[in-house]
Formats: sequence, C-alpha cells, structure tokens
Amino acid sequence: MNTPSFGLDDFLPVLPAAILTAGAILLLVSEVFLGSATRTYQALLAVVTSVAAGALAFSNAFLPAHAVLQGYAVLDPFSSFTTVVVCLGTGLGALLGAGFLKHRNAERGEFYALLLFAAAGMSLLAMSAEFITLFVNLEVLSVSTYALTAYLRRGPRPSEAGFKYFILGAFAAALLLYGAALLYGATGTTHLSEMAAGLGAAAKAQPALVACGFFLVGAGFAFKVAAVPFHMWTPDVYEGAPTPVTAVMSAGVKAAAFVALVRVFLFLGPVFDPEVVFVIFSALAAATMVVGNLLAIPQRNVKRMLAYSSVAHAGYLLSGVAALFAPATVAPKSGVLSASATWGADSALRGEALKGLLFYLLAYTVTSLGSFGVVGALERREDETKGNAWDLDRFSGLAQRRPFQAAAMAVFLLSLGGIPPTVGFMAKLLVFRAAVDAGLVGLAVLGVLSSAAGVYYYLRVVVYMYMRPAVEGMQTPERQWTTEFALAASALAVVGLGLLPGSVSDWLSRAGLIFGQ
Amino acid sequence: MSAELVLFWVFAAAIVASAGGVIIARNAIASAMSLVACFFFLAGIYVLLWAHTIAALQVLVYAGAIMVLFLFVIMLLSLTESGPVAQLSPSRILGAVGTAGLLAALVGALLRLPKTLPTWVSDTAQVQRFGTIKEVGQVMYTQWLFPFEAVSLLLLVAIVGAVVVAKPRI
Amino acid sequence: MIATSNYLILAAVLFCMGMLGVLIRRNALVVFMCIELMLNAANLTFLAFARERGDATGHISAFFIIAVAAAEAAVGLAIVISVFRARGTVNIEEIQTMKH
Repeated sequence: MNTPSFGLDDFLPVLPAAILTAGAILLLVSEVFLGSATRTYQALLAVVTSVAAGALAFSNAFLPAHAVLQGYAVLDPFSSFTTVVVCLGTGLGALLGAGFLKHRNAERGEFYALLLFAAAGMSLLAMSAEFITLFVNLEVLSVSTYALTAYLRRGPRPSEAGFKYFILGAFAAALLLYGAALLYGATGTTHLSEMAAGLGAAAKAQPALVACGFFLVGAGFAFKVAAVPFHMWTPDVYEGAPTPVTAVMSAGVKAAAFVALVRVFLFLGPVFDPEVVFVIFSALAAATMVVGNLLAIPQRNVKRMLAYSSVAHAGYLLSGVAALFAPATVAPKSGVLSASATWGADSALRGEALKGLLFYLLAYTVTSLGSFGVVGALERREDETKGNAWDLDRFSGLAQRRPFQAAAMAVFLLSLGGIPPTVGFMAKLLVFRAAVDAGLVGLAVLGVLSSAAGVYYYLRVVVYMYMRPAVEGMQTPERQWTTEFALAASALAVVGLGLLPGSVSDWLSRAGLIFGQ
Repeated sequence: MSAELVLFWVFAAAIVASAGGVIIARNAIASAMSLVACFFFLAGIYVLLWAHTIAALQVLVYAGAIMVLFLFVIMLLSLTESGPVAQLSPSRILGAVGTAGLLAALVGALLRLPKTLPTWVSDTAQVQRFGTIKEVGQVMYTQWLFPFEAVSLLLLVAIVGAVVVAKPRI
Repeated sequence: MIATSNYLILAAVLFCMGMLGVLIRRNALVVFMCIELMLNAANLTFLAFARERGDATGHISAFFIIAVAAAEAAVGLAIVISVFRARGTVNIEEIQTMKH
C-alpha cells in the first residue's frame, strides 16, 4: 500500500481558501461569544480575511504552473489571479453588506461567514483539475450562495429567489455530473489531463457518447454562467436576492464559473473537436450578447436592468472564450476553412485571450459591485415588500440629494457601457482585440454594436440622476461609511485601471500560463 | 437467461415504475415513498454491478437519511394538493420534447457501445476485491484526499446554510 | 455478466424521467425529488462504467455524489420551508410574483 506524500508546496494553492474558511469559522464563533449590538467588526474581519487571502494568492501567481495535491488541483497564475479577483469582490461585498444589513437590523456573523465560504469555494473551483473535485467545489460555492440569496426574510422575494436559484442550480449540477459520468465512461478517468490524453481515441471509437457528455457538461456550465438560452433564472434571482449578495453573485460566482469552464474546455475541447467547440461558443456568445442587451432596454427597474446587463456581459466574456478555440489559419480565398487548417488558437493568441478574460472579470467585478452597491444604498426598508424599490424614479435628482453616490454610479454605468476612460472600455478592448486577432471579426463587430445599444439604457439612468428633478417626499436612507468606502474604492479602481491599466495588465499576462497548455 | 439478467429486469422495471410514481403521484407523500422504493431498487442494481459499498451507502444515506428529511418536511408543512399535478405551458412542452430528444440521443449513443465482456473479469483476485469497502476506502484515503477535504467543507457550509435559511426571522 | 449498456440505458431513462419531472411538476418538493432522481442516474452511470473498466474511480465518484446530495438536500429543504413560511404554498406557479 502506497501512502501519499505531500510537500509544503502542495498546500500553497489551497492556503487562500484555508484562510477564508478559517475567517468564516472565526466569524461563526464570534457570533456566539460577542453578540454585541454593533457588528461592524464582523464586516471588517471579513475584509481583513479576504485581503490576506488575496495577497497570498497574488504571491502565488508568480510561481510556475504545476499540478499539486496528487493531480486533483493545479497551481497556475490563471487560478491564482482568479482568487485575487474573487477576494477583491468578497471584500467589497462584505463592506456593502455591512451598511445594507445594518439598515435592516440583520447583521449576523453567518452572513459574512457564508460570503467567505463562497469565496473559498470559488478559489478552490478555479484550481480544480478533476471532475469530481470540480463538482464538489462548485457545490461549496453554490450551496453558500443559495443560503445567502434566501438570507433575508423580508417579504416573499428573497425566498422565491433562493428557491429558483436552488432548483436551477441543482438541475445544472445534475446535467454537469451526468455529462462527466459519460466522459468518464468514454475515457476511464475523471482527471482532466488524463481525460484529454484518452479522449482522442475515445472520440473516434464512441463519437456519440463523447458528444452527449460534452453537450451535457456544456449545458451545465451555460446555466452557471447564465448564457442564453439558459439565462431565464438570472433576472428573478438577481432581483430577489439581497443587493450585496446580487453584487457578489454577478461578480465572483460568474468569474469562478467562467474560469472552471475555460479550464475544462481548454483541456478537452481541442482533443474532442475544436471546430464544434468553437462554433458552439461563438453562437452562445452572439446570442447572449444580443438577447441580454435587448431584454435590458425596456427595463425601468434598475436592479433588473443590471441583471440583464450581467447576461450581456457574460456574452462578451464568451466571445473571449470562443477566441481560445478559433481556427489558427483560414484559407485566404474562399473564406471557408481549408482542409489543413488547424483548430485552436496558437499559444500567443491564447495567452492574449486568457489575459483579456481575466482583465474583463476584474473590471466587471469592481464595476458590478459598485453599481449594485449604489442600488443597495438607495433601497429603503419600507419598499422591500413592494415592487417599486428599484424604479428609475428613485434615481431622479440623485445628483442633488447625494452628489457622491450619483457621481460614483455614473462612473460605474459608463464603465458597464464600455466608455473610456473607464476600466470597462479597456476590458472590452482587450477581449474584442483577442477575438479579432483570432479571426472572429464578425463576433467582435456584433459585440461592439450590442454594447453600443447597451449605452442607451446605462445613460438613461445617468440622465435621470442628473437632469430630472427629485420626486417630492422621496427619502434616501442614511449614509453608511462602509458603503461609501466600498463605493469610493470601486470608483477609484474603475477610473484608475481605465487610465493606467499598465502594471495590472502586465501581471495578468502571466494568466496565459495556464496549466497543461 | 442468467440470474443477473432476470434480476436486472426485475429491478429495472421496478425502478422505472417507481420513478414514474414520483413524477405522476398527486400527493407529495406518495411521491416521496415512490422515491424511497426507487432508491432501494437502485441499491439492488448496484449490487448487481458489484458495488457493494455504494449499495449499502445508498440504503443508509439516501433511503435512510435524505428521504427521512424529505418526509419530515412534507409532514411539517402538511401540504394539500389542489389543481392539476402538472403544468403544460408551451415552454414546458418544448422542454418535454427536448427531454425526449436527449433520451433518444443517449440511447442511440449507448447502444453503440461494445457488448463484449471486459477483459479484467478473468482476474478472479481482482474481481474478489472489486467494490469492497477495503478497496474503495484504500483508494479514497490514499488518492482522493483533496476532494474528500472539499466535501468536509461542503458539509460544514451546508449545515451553516441550512441553519441560516431555516431561522424564522433575520 | 450482462452487457454494461443495459445498465447505462436504464440510467439514461431514469435521468430523462427526472428531467421531465423537473420540467412539468408544480410542487416544489416533487421537483426537488426529481433532481435527486437525476443525481441517482449519474451515480448509476458511474458505477456501470466502473464495473466495465474494473476501476474504483466510479465508486468513489458515487460516494462523493451521495455526500453532495445530502448537503444539497439540507439547504434545499430549508429553502422550501422558508418559501412555505413566506407564501403558505410550495406550488411553483403561485411562488412566481416577479414581473418581467
């Protein structure tokens, strides 16, 4: 019998997740011993924990990519940077949550603990290199998010949102799992690297079985990242969840799911049939961009509008994913692929695309957290059971009532719309440039056009804030320093990274160093 | 016909019948009891597949613990069913058609698998070992440590999550 | 020993029955039970392929899936209870209130 041997090196990648878990347990214990009236210290503890975990993950990002923990996980810059982004989102989310919950007398250690558990799950998911590990870590993240969605018991909405999210999440997990079972049957292993090695032969012997497995795994992931046509749950869940939770869901959960998707398909896609993978991701990207933006246009409910906009942003990200599988050479004359064309972008292009994806995830994290943060800060407790808490009218004349929040919201909306000098512009530039370099000119043009349509509904909110008079008798909730701090930090990041993306984008270039490629 | 084939058909028919019972029963308790029956027959199928350990776990954890939880909740809520059991809107009919398509694709793919017996079966010693607690436990605790620890984290998260969500008021 | 494809087709039928139940049933608890059926179909597939290959990986996968199902059941049932507290029903149509 061979006993496993571990070195210190094996535990380095899981250390950020371990810190997050330890912080969560500390918060749970603090609830027992320090149930004082003000619980702001809990939010700060959560922030400190995520900063510590993020810093550690950042230092990990400069280590070479290698497999750890007997091949069940990998340590590579790609996963480490994802953990950094996730920790950033969690820290900001905890600060936003502090003000939001204090206003509702609902501050509890459990809330922050679940946030940190979710972050640990995201970090572990990003590094999983084996299907069952990936599935379990996906569940760690999902189960904590289900609970966070149903955390508040004010009116029927949170429980409805929690229930929908749970049913669709569990359904997606079952699809993913059954697909993984079929792929296990085809190759005899659940390790992604070994599966990639055996898949070529399996795809020749059993093409239908492998195709079914791929389809189910892809559908499971499409649910998780809310790609059209698997996006139906997004608006209801995003609207019903407590706003800080929505912010974390749109940023962190999506980032982790995208990273897992990229890892799985980068391993398996090229071996199976890169052409099919490429066509499917391009179609998903196009449909998701267009449908997300079209559905967002008529929304007067700002929270719901941001939910649909997050669907559209998943579409932009998917075009970056499609670029990973683009044909390397295109026959010049006919425009169709020559028989000798090799599918799958070369490593330089793939590095650019991965860098673009991570930069986009970073940009979307700060922007989305900020915009949902403003929405949450304006929500009044009395409106929770009614449906009009997030109506556009609530933003009328915000510039006079709350000049700082209005300015911050304007910055976030411009960034979501992709207008320079914000980080949203730089992120779209990187992703669409990767798509163009990979030959996906049509997809990039479609992306630019649909984001131009998006500018309409983003700017409508800015117009309401700056050019409409305030509605009489409209009260705004009192300001919370934690919320203001988080908004200021996000706004600063949005503008700062938009003007000077240099050093961050240089770091993220290392993200191209993904394990196994 | 071999004994395995007879037992397979008995269990398979019972599984399909009880799964059908879960879907069409009007009363949630009837659905839950059908599901318990389905889990038991599945455990029988697992024994036929030489997965003794998992068969035991299936009865203990699934039929024993998880289903008791289900029944407990149904009793707690004392549900009364009214109106039609199923809802047939166009999108749901489309979903049902899609499910039928998926089933056809899956069966088509699975029928094409080779029907030959696997070669490893001739190794009697390995067959003796296969699926026993000893073998499964050895592999799990020497190779699958990372996912095992991840499951422990998952169970902790589930406990905290369930307590938070079931609190009457926050 | 009969061909593995028998077991696999049984699993496919079970999976699609579960999926059908998720799509058409109105009772939230029954929908949740149908998801359990789908997870069991995945388990059966793992175990059938494990015997085909003489490989313990499928058994351990099934082991983990059972643990995950238990965790999901705990949180899922808690959510169903909170829905019932807020609405007095677990009927999916009556739960839907948010406007599009």
